[in-house]
Amino acid sequence: MKYFLYWGCSLEASGANYLKSLKPVCKKLGIEFEEIEDWNCCGASVSYVGAKDFTIKVLNARNLALAEKTASYDIVAPCSSCYVQMNRANHEIQENESIRNLINNILAKAGLEYNGTLRVRHIQDILFNDVGIKRIRDAVIKPLNGLKVAGYVGCQSVRPYGEYDSVERPKVQDKIIEALGAEPVKFPKKMQCCGSGIFFPEMELCLGLVKDILEDAISHGAKIISTICPMCAMNLEMYQTRINKIYGTHIEIPVVYLTQLIAVAFGMDLKKEAVLHMNFIPPEYVMKHIR
Amino acid sequence: MVIDAMLQYNSTVAIDIFKDVEFVEEIKKCIQCGMCAGSCPLKHHMDYPPRKIFALLRAGKKATILKSKSIFLCTSCYSCKVRCPRGIPVMDIMHSLAYYATKLSMESSKNTSTFGKVFWKQIYKRGRIDEKALLREYLFSNGFIQGLKNTLDMADMGLIMLLHGRMKLLPEGKLKSLKEFKVMLEEAENVGESI
Repeated sequence: MKYFLYWGCSLEASGANYLKSLKPVCKKLGIEFEEIEDWNCCGASVSYVGAKDFTIKVLNARNLALAEKTASYDIVAPCSSCYVQMNRANHEIQENESIRNLINNILAKAGLEYNGTLRVRHIQDILFNDVGIKRIRDAVIKPLNGLKVAGYVGCQSVRPYGEYDSVERPKVQDKIIEALGAEPVKFPKKMQCCGSGIFFPEMELCLGLVKDILEDAISHGAKIISTICPMCAMNLEMYQTRINKIYGTHIEIPVVYLTQLIAVAFGMDLKKEAVLHMNFIPPEYVMKHIR
Repeated sequence: MVIDAMLQYNSTVAIDIFKDVEFVEEIKKCIQCGMCAGSCPLKHHMDYPPRKIFALLRAGKKATILKSKSIFLCTSCYSCKVRCPRGIPVMDIMHSLAYYATKLSMESSKNTSTFGKVFWKQIYKRGRIDEKALLREYLFSNGFIQGLKNTLDMADMGLIMLLHGRMKLLPEGKLKSLKEFKVMLEEAENVGESI
């Protein structure tokens, strides 16, 4: 199984623990990755303020063209924003001939062309549909017995297309959590947005969103939260102290990437492969507790 | 006010006023059911939730809409777009309005619009986002003194990120073909204006 991996800007910085845990986990599952040569930013969730939607599509078309030039693999985007922006541009180019022509005229300025032959997919889609739950379960060496995990889905990894999971009642992440031997908890705010790209400029309002999500997960029994998006991870994990200060709450719950949980269950090195030391709220004690 | 807006409804007028706003012709389909407003995570903080924005659009209330803080509170969660029973790209219209208001410098709050502008500066400068440079530029967007205050307020977080290897001191990489990339983007902006 070979794919392009379009990891995007966040996974080189605040989401570094996502990329670092994703690579060994995928390798173990027989997935090979190739980087898109000289990729650019996808525009993420705040670029709409500074440009028309058309310009954002061109941003993504460049990456698609660079990939198509090299091979015909599906493109895997672990970041939800990268996934949604690239997927949106791809659909538009595939389905709308006049947009395709307009975009290709612009790509031609950089000697590029995109014919719409590729597919853009989220990493959860690959794990669930291409690898499959059985193979993930078979690779588990140290099952996370009894660990109560809130699998937080958020927004853009399933909305708007719902190509591999329901847009209202997603199950994929919970099934992967189950395959690791852990127990996915049900919590109503699983799909409520954390503030995403406008979290920083509208922090006061978005802290309220995050507080509601965290309290919901905790009150439904979760001991740890897993995410599949660098913005969700950052927003849910980084601001817990600030929330406690403002709201007088006592929230403290580790937030890890799903790939970090998988790495632990696969018996990988907690430091080198699961990179748990990169998380702000140490998740190790929760993990040790279950062993 | 919604009733007032409905009385004045003349879609031709509205679409003519907002002809530069992408996807605006889609508002013709709106049945004012409120599913978009009900689905919005920040609805409680909006002066006019999406449903009311659409009513105002139809009434051609340009200034009210462009000065509304709601159009800058979209988190891009796609809930409204997914749930709209008429298949209106609610989110995309809110985005276009935010862009339009920024272009005309009519924003009531500069927070998100400044963040968006700084974001694009990064894209033009290196083709990718360097998170720390983005935040630094945003924090200092209201002058040096305010910038220092803002930075001190966020200093604990910066330190935590550094210590956990989630922020580097050195700048992030740039595109190799940055020059062609910029030419392409400028052309995209020109073409986008004429669509």
